[in-house]
Formats: sequence, C-alpha cells, structure tokens
Amino acid sequence: MKSIREVFAFYAFYGRKTRRTLAFLLIALIPVAIATIFRFRQAFEGDGSYDGLYLFTNVIMTFFLQFLVLILTLFFGTSVLSEEVEGRTLTYLVTRPVSKAALLVGKYLAYSLIVSVLVWTGLVACFLILCFARLGEAQVWMVLLRYLGVLTLGILAYGAFFTFLGSFLKKSIMVGLIFSFGWENVIQYFPGSTQRFAIVHYLKSLLPGVLQSRGRFSFLTFRLNPTSWPVSILTLLLITAGFLTLAVLLFQSKEYNYED
Amino acid sequence: MSAVIETSKLSKWYGNVLGLSDVTLTIGPGILGLLGPNGAGKSTFFKLLTGQLKPSIGTVTVFGAPIRNNQRTFRRIGLCPEQDALYEELTGWEFLTNLLRLYGYGRAEIEARAERALETVELLEDRDRIVRGYSRGMRQRLKFAQAVAHDPEVVILDEPLSGLDPLGKRKLIRLIKDFGREGRTVLVSSHVLPEIEALTANIVLVHQGKILASGDIHYIRDLIDTHPHIVAVRSSAARTLAGHFVGEPYVHKVRFENGGELVLFETSNRDRFFERLTRYAADTASGVEEITSPDDNLQAVFDYLVGA
Repeated sequence: MKSIREVFAFYAFYGRKTRRTLAFLLIALIPVAIATIFRFRQAFEGDGSYDGLYLFTNVIMTFFLQFLVLILTLFFGTSVLSEEVEGRTLTYLVTRPVSKAALLVGKYLAYSLIVSVLVWTGLVACFLILCFARLGEAQVWMVLLRYLGVLTLGILAYGAFFTFLGSFLKKSIMVGLIFSFGWENVIQYFPGSTQRFAIVHYLKSLLPGVLQSRGRFSFLTFRLNPTSWPVSILTLLLITAGFLTLAVLLFQSKEYNYED
Repeated sequence: MSAVIETSKLSKWYGNVLGLSDVTLTIGPGILGLLGPNGAGKSTFFKLLTGQLKPSIGTVTVFGAPIRNNQRTFRRIGLCPEQDALYEELTGWEFLTNLLRLYGYGRAEIEARAERALETVELLEDRDRIVRGYSRGMRQRLKFAQAVAHDPEVVILDEPLSGLDPLGKRKLIRLIKDFGREGRTVLVSSHVLPEIEALTANIVLVHQGKILASGDIHYIRDLIDTHPHIVAVRSSAARTLAGHFVGEPYVHKVRFENGGELVLFETSNRDRFFERLTRYAADTASGVEEITSPDDNLQAVFDYLVGA
C-alpha cells in the first residue's frame, strides 16, 4: 500500500505539470463556455424555453458522459504505460524497489484523480452557472452529487479499460477511439441484453429520471431497459477491478523493449 | 572473488534476432568494463541483469537471488540507462526527489540524498531548471545522479560517458573510479576503448551478442597490437616507398589506391613498422604527406577476433 501511495504521489505531481493536463483542462471548460453563453442569452434576450437544470442534466451531462470522460480517460488511461514505453522512461520505474502492480495501480489512481478533478471542475462550474437561481434547493444539490458520482464511476471504469488497452496494444489510441465513439455510442441503443456490453449502459442506468426527459434534447439521454442501480454499481466496480487486474498481469509478464 | 552477479549460459533472442548468446560470468566488487561496438549486446546484457528482460535461456542472479520482479534486490542496484530519456517537464530536483520517493524514504532523507547526489554531479545550482533545458552533458550527469542517489552496492552504467565533453568525462571517470574503490560493484559499458581503459583494467569484450574475451585490458591491448593493421601512406613517391618495405617480414601486403599516390601496408607489427617508416621519412626524400591508420579502432579488433 505504501508503494502505491508513493507512486500515486509521484504521478499526481507529474500529471499536474504536463502540458497535456493543461490542454485537457481547456477542453473540460468548453461546456462552461456553453453554459455561460446560455445564461447570457437567458439574461439579455429573455430566452426561457429551457430551464437551467434541464440543460444541465441533459445537454451538459451528455457532453461529459459521452464525450469528455471518454476522451480524458482514453488519453490518460492508455498513457499509464505507453507514455513510459514511448518516452523510454520505464527503465527508471521498473528498476526501483516497487512492484509492477503498485506502479500500475498507483499511476492509474493518480491519473484517475487528475481526470476527476478536470471533470468535477467543469461540471460544478456548469452547475453553478446554469442552476444559479435554484441553488437554495437541497434536491438540486443532490442531483449534482449524484451526477458527480456517476461520472467518477465512469472515470474509474473507462480508465481501467484504457489502462489495460495501453498495456496490451502498441497503437491503443486508435482502438480506444473506435471503442469510445463506435462501440460505446452504438451498442447502448441495441435492444435486449446487447446493450449491457457497453459501460455507458450502466452509467446511464444510474442517472435519475432520464427516461422521463422530454423535449428537443431528450434523445441524448435516451436509454433502453436500465439495469438496477446496485447491479450497475457492482458491474462498474467489477469492470474496473477486472481490467486493472488484467493490465497488471500483462505488465508483469510482458517485456517492453524499445531498443536493440 | 565473492560473486555479486552471476550469469550462466545467459542468452536472449528477439524473435529470430540474437541479442545475447551463452554468457557465463561471475562478477565481483570493483569496476568491470563492457566493451563492444554499438549493437553488440551490451544494453541487452544490462537489461537482463536488471530484470527488464527475461532470459531466453540461462539464469541471472544478483546477490544470489534471481533478479526479475525481485524488488528487494532493486534497492541495492543503481542503473544509468543508455537512452537519453528523462521526465522532461520536471526540474532536476523534482526528477530526483520523485524517483527517491519510490524507495520509501522520508521527506528529509529524500531531500538530503537528492542534494548530495546533485552536488556529486555538480548540478546543484541547476536543480530548479526544467530538464528539457539541460545540455546533453547535464542530462548524462542527472541520469548518473539518479543511479547513485540511493547509495547502491551495484552500479550499472550504460554508456555513461557518451555526449560528455572532455572535462565532463574526466569528472565522471573520477566519480566512477571512486565508487569502484569504495568496494561497490560497478559495471560500465562503452564502445570507446580509451574510455574503458581510463576506468578499469578489467574488461569484457562483447561482439554480436557473444563474449569474445574477458580479463585484463593488457591482454586486449596485445590482441590489438598483434593483429594485422592497415597503414595508409600518401606520398608523391609511393612506389619507391612501397619498394622499400616489400621485403620486410612484418609487412604482409602492399597495395595502391588513388591512382598510385596512396599506398596501403598490412603489417603485423605496427610499432616496428612505424619506427621504420618514421626513420625512412626523415632520412630520405620520401615525399610522405600523410599517414593514417584506417582500421585502428575497436571494430577492426572485433573483426580480427571473430575472423571476419
């Protein structure tokens, strides 16, 4: 556990300093810009066709859930190992008195935290901007907490899957993109049990009231038969643990040779 | 000699490509130089010694235990890798302290060790500069610092002198020798004979994944001195010059190039040949303009030893 903590501290520090994190912070702030524009329109043009909370739970959440979380976890998750191999810095890690499991898990947790902070920052900012008029209502805050929880579960599950992909494949980004915007975005709309092969299905199953959503943007949160919340949470945690275990096993047995 | 590192029939293939073949060595304290041209298998050997690669055949033990996935032993080993790779967005100080963190030291000890290591390699003043802005020499020294900051008993240095200026080389050579004198086991690789010569008399010659010779450097020197050498002499009177040497027993072949103005001698006794050539050039109007020794390098020795 101490080793995991040391690796975590190293990469939480390192991850903060990289240009990539700054670039992704800017991407994470895109919905904040959209929310700000919406609020200005509402304030100055009197456009009251949509409630702020409705836009937050539908448009903004969809952006976070089906784009931002996928993109961030894809780039951070696949880089857990591949950036060390491509940067040829893996040598510094694997010759230290730290197990490979601790290296991988510690770095995965550090990068998950960085992604979470980026996502939380954007989501909370959007929430404050869009739901400004209703901040006194406790249930509105509960919505925010629930959405933060769902996104965090998504970050953990997708992050573990992409960490596995990065330790398994050399060109993991391309496969990850196909998975994210092909598989995940299509399979969830398949009827029957096929949809259960998408991570996003379990995440959407945890979102409150999306089945009842109406209006122009309701298609964004459309879902078929949701899975119950205990099963969804358990499945997401199992996905996380399963792919992390696979990634560790691969890391322990595989040779990463970048010379000779 | 008490064995610190032992390899037995150590071999490594990358698919069908041979990386290292049948290396059996017992290495004790002191400095051992690994000498061989680029691609000879030196880095492969070091990666096997540090558990980064799995042997295809054979075994490696360090302090009597297998090394791969053996975290306990890694505490006693320091590795300076060949590749010019660092965490570019960190400062030298951050790079070092974060790597030391992985040993589980407390904050005060991490800082003390990092400061001492940076002072040793004379980078203390540049500790807060981003690594990306370091010169090649500074990067090499930082790599060395991370290899020794935890005070290891075994130090493995893969081409540590490459990219250093003469002064930097001299300083690092002194440091490495100090480590050897302290009773540590130091393995240093290089493809430059004089670099290894400056460090140790105990060397292993590696070529195409195989150990050609090992032992005292004077033995290797003898091999170099006795194997046929090519000496090229540019002269306006090349044929007269050639005629003067043709009958000598230590001159095996004479041939002309560049329209007859360059004469190439193959000699088995370089010292005698040069002594005679110098005298000849001084005594007569030989027209000697230039003397070069095109194969006076390590590759030529390797080629000779492997019969190429």
